Amino acid sequence: MAGADSPSAALRRRDLCARGIRLVGKMRSDVIDLLDTYMERQGLDASANVAAVEGVPPAAVERWDEQTGTQRLLENLAAYRAFRALLAQMLEEQREQLGEADTALGRALAAVLLQVSAFAYHLEELLRLESRSPPSEEGDGPPPQPRLSLFEQKLRGLGVLRELAQWALRSARDLRQLAKPGPGTGSAPSLAESP
Amino acid sequence: MFSGWNWVAYGFYLLMNVCSLEASGGLVQSCGHIIPESPVLALGSNFTALCILNESCLDFGNIYANQIIWKIKNKVVPKEQYREINRTVSSVTFNDTSSLTTPLTCNILADGQIEQNIYGITVTVGLPPEKPKNLSCIVHQVSKLIYRMICTWDPGRHTFLDTQFRVKYRWPQENFPDCIPKDVNNSCTIPDVHFFVNLEIWVEAANALGKAESDPLVLDPIDIVKPLPPHNLSVSSVLPTVLKLSWVNLISIPVMKLKFNIRYRIVGDTTWMEVPSEDTASPRTSFSVQGLQPYTEYSFSIRCMKEDGVGYWSEWSEEKTGITTEDKPSKGPPMWRIIDASQSQASWTVHLMWKALKPSEANGVILQYELTVRDKSSLSHALEKYNVTSTNLTLQLPNGTYEVTVIAQNRVGASPPSVLLIPASNSKDPVKNLRTLPKYDKLWVGWTPPNSYVLKYVIEWCLVSSSSDCIIEWQIAPGDVQGIDLRGIKPFKCYLITVYPLYADGQGSGQSVKAYLKQDRPSKGPTVQTKKVGKAEAVLTWNHLTVDEQNGFIRNYTILYKTIDGNETVVTVDPSKTEYTLSSLTSDTLYTVRMMASTDNGSRSGPDFTFTTQKFGKGEIEAIVVPVCLAFLLIVLLGVLFCFNKRDLIKKHIWPIVPDPSKSNIAQWSPQVPAKHNISSKDQMYPEGSFTDVSVVEIEADDKKSFSEQDLKPFDLLKKEKSTSEGHSSGIGGSSCMSSPRQSVSDSDEGETTQNTSSTVQYSTVVLNGYRDQTPVQVFSRSESTQPLLDSEERSEDHTGGGDSTPQRQQYFRQNGGQDETSTDRPCFERTKQITHANEGDLVGFVQLQISGQSSQPLGLGMEKNNQEAALSNVLQTNTEGQTVIPETVEENPLIVDEMPKSYLPQTVRQGGYMPQ
Repeated sequence: MAGADSPSAALRRRDLCARGIRLVGKMRSDVIDLLDTYMERQGLDASANVAAVEGVPPAAVERWDEQTGTQRLLENLAAYRAFRALLAQMLEEQREQLGEADTALGRALAAVLLQVSAFAYHLEELLRLESRSPPSEEGDGPPPQPRLSLFEQKLRGLGVLRELAQWALRSARDLRQLAKPGPGTGSAPSLAESP
Repeated sequence: MFSGWNWVAYGFYLLMNVCSLEASGGLVQSCGHIIPESPVLALGSNFTALCILNESCLDFGNIYANQIIWKIKNKVVPKEQYREINRTVSSVTFNDTSSLTTPLTCNILADGQIEQNIYGITVTVGLPPEKPKNLSCIVHQVSKLIYRMICTWDPGRHTFLDTQFRVKYRWPQENFPDCIPKDVNNSCTIPDVHFFVNLEIWVEAANALGKAESDPLVLDPIDIVKPLPPHNLSVSSVLPTVLKLSWVNLISIPVMKLKFNIRYRIVGDTTWMEVPSEDTASPRTSFSVQGLQPYTEYSFSIRCMKEDGVGYWSEWSEEKTGITTEDKPSKGPPMWRIIDASQSQASWTVHLMWKALKPSEANGVILQYELTVRDKSSLSHALEKYNVTSTNLTLQLPNGTYEVTVIAQNRVGASPPSVLLIPASNSKDPVKNLRTLPKYDKLWVGWTPPNSYVLKYVIEWCLVSSSSDCIIEWQIAPGDVQGIDLRGIKPFKCYLITVYPLYADGQGSGQSVKAYLKQDRPSKGPTVQTKKVGKAEAVLTWNHLTVDEQNGFIRNYTILYKTIDGNETVVTVDPSKTEYTLSSLTSDTLYTVRMMASTDNGSRSGPDFTFTTQKFGKGEIEAIVVPVCLAFLLIVLLGVLFCFNKRDLIKKHIWPIVPDPSKSNIAQWSPQVPAKHNISSKDQMYPEGSFTDVSVVEIEADDKKSFSEQDLKPFDLLKKEKSTSEGHSSGIGGSSCMSSPRQSVSDSDEGETTQNTSSTVQYSTVVLNGYRDQTPVQVFSRSESTQPLLDSEERSEDHTGGGDSTPQRQQYFRQNGGQDETSTDRPCFERTKQITHANEGDLVGFVQLQISGQSSQPLGLGMEKNNQEAALSNVLQTNTEGQTVIPETVEENPLIVDEMPKSYLPQTVRQGGYMPQ
């Protein structure tokens, strides 16, 4: 937390938190929109039962409020790196399945992927401000997936998007928590942003 | 011969070498090449090219570098720019590439004769790209989820080369594909942008001469968003003064929190009103606009931008309209009256009129007006109510004081009452100093208020026109103002404006003023004409221009008059006059006059009118004519008196008394009259006054002494008398032709015998007078009536005549007789003339002398070879000079002339009077 002592670092942290919150807010909004599009295009409905996506840490945790900032950032970073890989895989599968015909869905997926990537960058920057170098991406991603059937791919995609929406909500809360002036972080005013 | 063939062969060889003798695989090998090959050069830089000859060509063609000629676009480069590197390489240097044109060719001059091209290159000259400047980007929201970023920049100077621009952008951890502009070099659209991560953007420009990059732009695209305006705007009525707006935002709150601008206006107005921005500075999807007018249709529009104000405002949304609900009228209609008291002394015709409320005052649809008329002059204060839907009401009311109240009603309720007091007379103070002032398209009317407190003012105005009635318009102004603007006033028209002050207990009398919003020069000029024209003055009259023709206040009339060649004189006349007298004019002169009417904004002339001043002034003619007439009358009077006094003389000369032969007394002609030779007086000689005039012919006698002096005495009287009328006697001398000279001669010849013969009547007395002082021989006086005597005379003549003269006379008389037979009434003179003509041809040796009354020239002298006759002629001429003697005929016989007394007395006979046959 040494870096947090300097005013510029505090401002930088504040800015990163604020924009991170808004980014995940927009990401969640886009993911929710994308979920509707995805289910429509993939022939799924809301009743589809999706198991937990492997490689992605669960958004819901116990004793969330007891987590440290770094812990929150690391969990978030791990999750979004996983989402980035999953979404990239989904985009590739979607292109394989639908080709270039459904550009809207592909564009929306690409947009979400970009936002996930951007948010991961935010988290890495925040970790650097926390004097923590972000962990390397080796081994962070989801384990190699066995070859799934098309339907399973669709279901998995649905699960990824749902989990991403959950994580977007949690990430906003984590960042808001990080933005609060804590011990050793100075008296930066809290940002009244809400996703 | 050998040399010529040698050169041809050499040229052919060279051509074959240059144009590639050796062809391998379709490629052509030339005798040399240039380096660099087709360079791209910076404008203004220096440039050196090398032409390298192939060794093979050297061997065959004796071609060396010193024979190289450089050309740019067929223009030889000066030798100074060449440099021979070695026997196969020549260079050319250009200090400034701006002088370079393409192509640059290397040529060889073989043996100084034939120029052949070795190689050529294309030179491209341009500039390296400048650093792009002023890079800016804006993110346009295309749909709810799609945003496009458009970046623009200044590409810098023109490079004359193909220059590629590309926009590069990246996240710190991720690069994005470049944005390459299409068809332009200063903007590019990035189709998909993502927010909340700083994006580094820059522009790279590159061409063959270099590459340049703009300064990077680092920004979060969310801060440069121009969002789409809210859509699905709807308006709903809440209260008479409130409308609620609802809309849908196209940007979700997680992406961007928005603030809004709401504007609105009354439909038909052009001016927008805006809801205070602080009221709409937070995200929302609805807003209630308050403070609106009841029953008014409003149009609304909304826009949005990022809540923190970073970014751009969206466009305004489509307009949506909504109408507020009705409310009761906010005020009573303004009311006024026109009182017509002309029909009856005891009652008025009161035209009540009120204005429809403005929409902002009516607050709904006015269903009817309720009027109450209260007679305040009667004790009972009788009340009359009227419900009308129009805006006027005409009442017949007895003279008195009335209070009229009007209320407007709509669906919601009634307006406050408007009260108008109609007093029996307008006896209160009027306004003072009423004046007007044009203000653009409005006419300001101002006044000084009276001393008393005024409730309000009524301003009446109407357009004054000669072609239509004055239709009164009116307006009510509050009592605390001292002027209002009248709208709808037409320029160049005259308005009559009247202001009435209304008091709590009555009305003031109206004050009027005429005014124009804008003046122009008159549309026509006055037509001037003269009323009266004198010698030096003229009275001009004209009619005033009509109000419609004036176009403004006529400030003056100008009379311009001039003569044809004179200077124009200008006279300014007061506009109230219709007559003017021009003075100091020149008499008998044509004047042109025209008249000009002037307003504040110009003048216009009427038609020209011309008039001529009189030659004489009044009384001048009378002053000349009256004396002339008097003088004429005086002369006439004097003439009459003179004539009266000389009447006898005049009578004698103008109408002498011709004796009436019928009254002649032959006895008086008796030869026994002893007084024949003893005439002592005129009375004795011409008794009874029968002779009024006697012509005396003096004929010279050869023998003067043959006449005694005694004989001549009585003849003197005749001479004297003759001298007074010789003109007349000579004038009628022609009458001598009526008698035969022979007769006279014969008479004189045989005077004694005839005197002694009692049977012979003395016909006349011939006074023979000697020439001048010589004694006349005999005097005869002849009666006018000779008819009975002619026979005897003829006969005596026949007796006495003889010898040679007889046939001549007979001839003469025959002629006479012949003439007389044909024209007995013809005047003597004419007849003689005819005779004269006859004698000219027929008569030989017969002389007839005719002497006209006034002529002294001897006529018809036909005598021949006779000196005596010539002498006689001389005598006659001498006599005629005295204008006393006219001999008619002269006998040819000299004996007769010698023996006979040379005298002849023709009678004085008036023409048409006595005429001997």
